[in-house]
Amino acid sequence: MTDTPTLAIEDLTVSFTSGRESVRAVDGVSLQVVPGEVVAVVGESGSGKSVTSMSALGLLPPTATTTGTVRVGGVDVTTLDGPHLRAIRGAEVAMVFQEPMTALNPAFTVGWQVAEALRLHIEDLSKKQALDRAAELLEMVGIRDARDRLGQYPHELSGGLRQRVVIAMAIACEPKVLIADEATTALDVTVQAEILDLLRDLRARFGMAMLVITHNMGVVADIADRVVVMYQGKVVEQATVEDLFARPQADYTKKLLASVPRLARGEGRNRTAPADEEVALSLEHLVVEFRGKGGRKNRAVDDVSLTIAKGEVLGLVGESGSGKSTVGRAAIGLLKPTSGSVRLLGEALTGAKGRDLRKLRRRCGIVFQDPASSLDPRMTVGDCVAEPLVINGVGDRAERVAALLESVELDAALRRRHPHELSGGQRQRVGIARALALDPQLVIADEPTSALDVSVQAAVLKVFLELQQRLGFACLFITHDLAVVGMVSDRVAVMNEGRLVEVGSRDEVLFDSREEYTRRLVTSAPVPDPADQRRRREERHRI
Amino acid sequence: MTRFLAKRIGQAIVVIFFVTVIVFLLLHSVPGGPAHGILGPKASPQAIAEFNREHGFDKSLFQQYWAYLSELFHGDLGESYTLNQSVASLIGQRIPKTLVLTGLSTLVALLVAIPLGVWQARRRKGLADYAVTTVVFVGYATPVFFLALILVIVFTQKTQLLPPQAPQTQSIAGLFADSRALILPVLAGAIATVAAFSRYMRSAVLDNLAEDYVRTARAKGASERRVVWLHIMRNSLTPIIAMLGYYLPVLFSGALVIESVFNYPGMGLLFWNAAQTSDYPILLGAVLVIALATVIGSLLADVLQAFVDPRVRGAIK
Amino acid sequence: MSISAPVVAEPSPVPVAGSYRRMASQFFANRLAVSGLVILAALLLFCFLGPLIHHTDQTHTNLAGANLSPGQGGHLLGTDDVGHDELGRLMIGGQTSLEIGIAAGLLATLIGTIWGAVSGYAGGWLDAIMMRIVDAGIAIPALFLLLVTATILRPTVPVQIVIIGCVSWLVPARLVRAEALSLRSRDYVQAMKAMGGGHRRAVFRHIIPNAIGTVVVNATFQVADAILLIAYVSFLGLGVAPPKTDWGGMLSKGISYTYDGYWWMIFPAGIAIVLVVCAFNSIGDGLRDSFEVRLQGR
Repeated sequence: MTDTPTLAIEDLTVSFTSGRESVRAVDGVSLQVVPGEVVAVVGESGSGKSVTSMSALGLLPPTATTTGTVRVGGVDVTTLDGPHLRAIRGAEVAMVFQEPMTALNPAFTVGWQVAEALRLHIEDLSKKQALDRAAELLEMVGIRDARDRLGQYPHELSGGLRQRVVIAMAIACEPKVLIADEATTALDVTVQAEILDLLRDLRARFGMAMLVITHNMGVVADIADRVVVMYQGKVVEQATVEDLFARPQADYTKKLLASVPRLARGEGRNRTAPADEEVALSLEHLVVEFRGKGGRKNRAVDDVSLTIAKGEVLGLVGESGSGKSTVGRAAIGLLKPTSGSVRLLGEALTGAKGRDLRKLRRRCGIVFQDPASSLDPRMTVGDCVAEPLVINGVGDRAERVAALLESVELDAALRRRHPHELSGGQRQRVGIARALALDPQLVIADEPTSALDVSVQAAVLKVFLELQQRLGFACLFITHDLAVVGMVSDRVAVMNEGRLVEVGSRDEVLFDSREEYTRRLVTSAPVPDPADQRRRREERHRI
Repeated sequence: MTRFLAKRIGQAIVVIFFVTVIVFLLLHSVPGGPAHGILGPKASPQAIAEFNREHGFDKSLFQQYWAYLSELFHGDLGESYTLNQSVASLIGQRIPKTLVLTGLSTLVALLVAIPLGVWQARRRKGLADYAVTTVVFVGYATPVFFLALILVIVFTQKTQLLPPQAPQTQSIAGLFADSRALILPVLAGAIATVAAFSRYMRSAVLDNLAEDYVRTARAKGASERRVVWLHIMRNSLTPIIAMLGYYLPVLFSGALVIESVFNYPGMGLLFWNAAQTSDYPILLGAVLVIALATVIGSLLADVLQAFVDPRVRGAIK
Repeated sequence: MSISAPVVAEPSPVPVAGSYRRMASQFFANRLAVSGLVILAALLLFCFLGPLIHHTDQTHTNLAGANLSPGQGGHLLGTDDVGHDELGRLMIGGQTSLEIGIAAGLLATLIGTIWGAVSGYAGGWLDAIMMRIVDAGIAIPALFLLLVTATILRPTVPVQIVIIGCVSWLVPARLVRAEALSLRSRDYVQAMKAMGGGHRRAVFRHIIPNAIGTVVVNATFQVADAILLIAYVSFLGLGVAPPKTDWGGMLSKGISYTYDGYWWMIFPAGIAIVLVVCAFNSIGDGLRDSFEVRLQGR
């Protein structure tokens, strides 16, 4: 390891101008990455971390004005013109993006796209040679049958495979710097763990400098040597990974680390429901099928039986496509089960129609993942919260709406605003207030905090759990985040590929799981503690 | 793929069924019914009743529709009131010429519109883009007949460069033999289409420029020209095929106007003349044939797009 | 573990001064759209108030004063082949074109919006049938259908409005249906259903209001298209009967005099059509852009 940094950002400032307004997205940022080092830039949305990384490739839109220097191997990127900049992109600095689903051109084969990365920078490389090399690269990033994959189009590959292709493209010309911008955010935890392993492996093999942009403290703990914490465009702290987690200096870092949910045995609620308690929701042999591609039936939920007692929170975890959201929607009759039955508060929901169905539904509430789409943008906040009251003909709405907003710690004055005038966290609180409007006995919460920054997530979860304790509703809490599940649940159910893998008390499932799948899931989720994470990683490799 | 084909063909058949219903209902709202048309407006009520009985026009609507359908199946579109010829043979003579006209003008239009749209998108918000956008805007708003008139005034009345009339001939070969006379009709059709398609192409390229894969290509070190003409072109071109399918009715409407202005001996002119003489069998026969052509055209366009575009191909597998 | 209190105050967006005001300011910043609005206003004034200032006889023919070139006999734009003052004729012809175009465009938008919203929201077989009907309608080129109906029914202004409205609702139906298809799976519609809300509420309270951008923008294009359609029909000789006329009909007359060089019978009406269609299209473009700005705020 040499000490001359491959990537050196010095006093970088980036402003975006639109019309007369000018927003400073990055404000005086300096950081360095030496060869073989992984530096993580961490921050919440709007911290300027992605803008910083884009400036290293000169990929900022024309509305951006930049001051300061970005040196790659001694050359200042900010002063380069088109052809020189292009010569650096891909060859000296390469980038892996967040969304593997859209990062590849849908109209070209995977092989062609990897080969293009080579042919753009290596002169007199024949098509054949480029494809041969592309196959080697795909193998190098852990894609089996690489030769056969060359002729496939991106839509034929899974998200994890696509991200591997993007990585293969990025390392094609053995760049000095590899920037991974939220490269694992869109992936499931088990896939995320594999991709992080791959990045670690590539670093060891090529000794490149790596800049990892992320909001996930677990990812930081897993891969970084050094950490740069950003907040509102500024660097608030730089430290080695051990120091940062053990002895955070800046207030912001301390607060950030405090709001990250952690998984620990014996903490959390961990209430085992007594057997004779009344049942709020019971699913018996629930099967939901969708008509899939080519008319084949696609079993999203396969023979799931579950019960939730009154006042109990059942956490339902699973990766994307495991069928967990489908269970939630079938549970309140938004989807019709193919077979099996749903009983709500002792009454059959399956087969209920018209008025009976509505009567049953009004005893349930639902909170969705995306606060941007769960509130009608054309309605005011007050109208959104009042809607269940209007539909069910409840009078005295004004007072009730004010009380509901207050219960989720929102100012009643916000009722006249429209959803887009609220922050994500505020919107999600409105969603919770709406779900509670009719005093439900069961609440389905479908990834209610997944779209939020950690600090906001912590606050929303706190409000939600306090309300649950006060009002005593039963809750099916659906999430992919194991730490969140550990925080909210009395009992935990795990789903995989439509089937229920395991159900049990919180500690049983999360710490003494009977099933291998659950163990793999739990060990794949990175924890915000470098030493602990290393131990877990080794444990995972043993499974 | 077979499933997709079966579904798409099934849909087309349902659409054609609805088209026949619409045309049949139109036929029935013709004042005085077919009897008036054939026997003349002065026919006595007895003669009309006799005629109706003879041809089954006194039966229930459903029976009549059934009879109408079975005639269609045998390629029988009835007899023209005024031209003493079967509608099927009249249309059969004319439709190839209309296809030549629309085909040529669409080809010319695409050859201009696609590069123009891409070129504009690359220079978006520049002076050249604004200038072209304005011209295209005006072109889009100009009725085809006005455009045709201007062309006639400029090229035949003022300069006498080109003949004002389309080739008057029976055969397709005759059309091409007198190709100078073909220039104005083709040009008039092409200009209108250029306006529509270059606008479409420009916005398609602009939409694609915001896609993530463009950023990936740039990060690889691809030049702007390569990004636009290779990466984006592939993705913007395939929707044009489907768009062409949907554009067919507009093309046929354009042909109707152009043929009547330039006296071009195609389907449109036949239709226009029939409208002047209230020759309903021709009118409704032509409507039916054109609707069929449109349905089959969009079907072909969709299928072709599915073959060309890997994404669509993936979605229907 | 205990959950830490909200630590980092999440920046709450500043309340925006009425999104409609923002939309309006975006619209008025668009020079093309504003000039479209100005042209439209000028044309409306010209057609509907013009005859109050410029009195002309548009009912009686005057063959002695036919085919006068502009300026002759005090006729600013000359006269046509039966001696009507062209300037005055442009005004009353414009009235017909604008009345039919605007009314038919709005009618088409209304029918199309409801049809599309219901179809997209319902999904399944109902959607399939409703959309095949739309496909069938689209397969018959509107101009052909209009000519056929014009030979069946005497083309008066109300008849033209209804017929054009009834043949041109198909495109808005398709657009709104596509929108409804994506809106119906939005979480707020799902949430409303979960609360026990009915289909009517879903369509009229959630889907149509949220598709309003598409609807309004399309309505302006629809008016432009209707004005063109009516011009085509009249040009082909099947428009409103004399002494009434419209711009397309005026041009149709002018075509016979192309070789006599009577340009005043061709260009004023032609340019008027181009102007009004351009105006509506640029207003539509401006509206679309400002609706997009509004969406960015979400």
